[in-house]
Amino acid sequence: MITYLQAITAALDKALADDPRVFLYGQDIGAFGGAFKVTKNLAQKFPGRVLDAPLSEDAIVGVAIGAAIEGMRPVVEMQFADFSTCGFNQIVNHAATLFYRTGVPCPIVVRLPSGGTAGSGPFHSQSMEALYAHYPGLIVMTPGTVEDAYSMMRDAIALDDPVIFCEHKFLYNHLKAEKLPEESPPVGKARLARHGRDATIVTYSAMVHESLAAAEELTGDGYEIEIVDLRTVKPLDTDTVLASVARTGRLLCVSEEWPWGGVSAEVIARVTSEGFGLLDAPPQRLNARDTPVPYHPDLWTAHRPTASAIASATRRLLEM
Amino acid sequence: MAQVPLLMPQLGESIAEATIVKILFKEGDAIEADKDILEVETNKAVMGVTAPCSGTLCQLNAQEAESYPVGAILGYIEVSEEEARRLGLDDESPAKDEPRAKKEKRPARRGAPQQVEPTVRGLPVPAHAAGASYLSPRMKARMTELGLHAADLSGIAGSGAGGRATIEDLEKFLEDIERNRITPASSMRVAVADAMRRSATRPLATVVLPVRLDNMLAHRKTCAPHKAGPALYVLRALAIALSENSAPAGRLIGDRIIHPRSIDIGFAVEAEDGVLVPVIRNADQVPLADLIDRYNRLVELARLRRLPVGDMGGSIATVTNYGVFGLTIATPIPLPEQTLLVGMGAGQIVPHWDPAKKEFGPITEAAFTLSFDHRVLDGGAAGRLLKRVSELLNNPAEL
Repeated sequence: MITYLQAITAALDKALADDPRVFLYGQDIGAFGGAFKVTKNLAQKFPGRVLDAPLSEDAIVGVAIGAAIEGMRPVVEMQFADFSTCGFNQIVNHAATLFYRTGVPCPIVVRLPSGGTAGSGPFHSQSMEALYAHYPGLIVMTPGTVEDAYSMMRDAIALDDPVIFCEHKFLYNHLKAEKLPEESPPVGKARLARHGRDATIVTYSAMVHESLAAAEELTGDGYEIEIVDLRTVKPLDTDTVLASVARTGRLLCVSEEWPWGGVSAEVIARVTSEGFGLLDAPPQRLNARDTPVPYHPDLWTAHRPTASAIASATRRLLEM
Repeated sequence: MAQVPLLMPQLGESIAEATIVKILFKEGDAIEADKDILEVETNKAVMGVTAPCSGTLCQLNAQEAESYPVGAILGYIEVSEEEARRLGLDDESPAKDEPRAKKEKRPARRGAPQQVEPTVRGLPVPAHAAGASYLSPRMKARMTELGLHAADLSGIAGSGAGGRATIEDLEKFLEDIERNRITPASSMRVAVADAMRRSATRPLATVVLPVRLDNMLAHRKTCAPHKAGPALYVLRALAIALSENSAPAGRLIGDRIIHPRSIDIGFAVEAEDGVLVPVIRNADQVPLADLIDRYNRLVELARLRRLPVGDMGGSIATVTNYGVFGLTIATPIPLPEQTLLVGMGAGQIVPHWDPAKKEFGPITEAAFTLSFDHRVLDGGAAGRLLKRVSELLNNPAEL
């Protein structure tokens, strides 16, 4: 069995082995193997290619951009997604615009351990995909399966665009698979995590699994819910989403991010403007509460969408 | 502990704000439910504002001699756990963007902007029968695709909120009807269906008047070489009546009455699978004798469905003789672009009381109907128009 975390490690391992231009840079990722052990043993296996960084996200991303301009293919780690805002200027103003302004590609991968666990609090729990997706020039990946964690990391390193790679901390050790995939869908293509008929849930990352649990519960009531795993938030696979809504007529967007201007909002904007005649009911979204992520476990549980909240929201949608 | 806001209540229908005249308690005092906490004055009266519950007045924002709008938060009452449960204060409700109670010290200013509450959130289908007519964008798209109207779907029992038809209901319905024998509707049928559907979107009503036909029938015998159909007599009578007062034939568009330009009257002719309506233009200006040939030709052409386009459309009222089918009374539906439809029932010989001779004698009589768009005219005007038609009809030499 291989975990989501081990799949990422395997992808990094393979990239380091195959391409001398690849190196890793981040806080505590060298001898320590990373805060979550994603880079465990890689520093030993690839001497000089897995480097510890000082406590400066600005510097980490800046170094990566500079190295990329010189022809390297760096993969940098933000220890927690939340800290990436200390390097926000480097990401959105430098990395994202470099190719547009100079014609020089910026093939960096910025890894963001995203999402919360009980007790992680407001600065160790954020989901930042919408923030980065807002900027032209960035690719934003949000793998939700062990297979995608592996193949999408390999795709991310192979792409010449800057990629924000949102790994979900909760999935690191909770998600397991038999083996790593040999093939994978193209970058930017969503996948049907579950076929259905009565409503479509569009989601990604950890929420795919909560949504699957909710769909199982609803089968008992005679409803079959279709679930679209976006896999990559930007570019967003509008065609797959519209095709699903064409089948079901009802849409619920579920994500762990905040509601304002989120991925859910973007999906709904696209479906209502491009597929208005497909909707038999108003599109709905279920996101985290519009407050900073709480520390207290009880509040944290109430803050994010859960399988039962998703099931309730879906029921409300089905009854409209 | 939970806090219950003390709101400025709605004190009267047109009251938007009130001035605090007297505050009866101060912060920290114990409060009893339904007892007065403040006295306020509106432009109508002085009245008390009572406590919504028992507890402690933990915060008071209001000041005497200041005005506050209806709904303004004047303070907070801290309530015990059981009181909170009794009031059904919901812990599970989503986080609101309300200012924290402790920070809210400044009272609302006079004329502070009111919260605008949207009247429709989510699906505009209220949870009662009115929801039944809601058509989602998908429904509308599918109906357009198939050339369907809401009238076609009146037979669907909707399973959606408020009884509305969902797309699943529609698809099941369409599947189900495939099991019946299906024949194509002629283009005439579809055209008539469309006209009747559009017409019936208006509130239509019908009045009935018995009309004596003896004079008209006698005059008709004298017509040579060609006889005029009874409908032509009625058409002429209607034309003259409308030339005297054209208001009943007006159309109501919004808040304006659009008057007719000329007295063009149509008459219904049964053609294969439907009805055609040839038109006599300026019917008020041509005597009946000069109309007979034209009328008969139009009837012939209509029956053969070879009516020229110029002889159709643009009429301001229609005459229909359903009496030829033996029908005594009907409630036909006026054309969608018209307000009036005069109907002629089958003539019958009936006993009529002659007050002079003080005996019953036979007369030939038919029930005439006037079906009309009730937005434009009422029963009285309709009745008066029919009576005038009846008068004119009983003086056939003048037609």
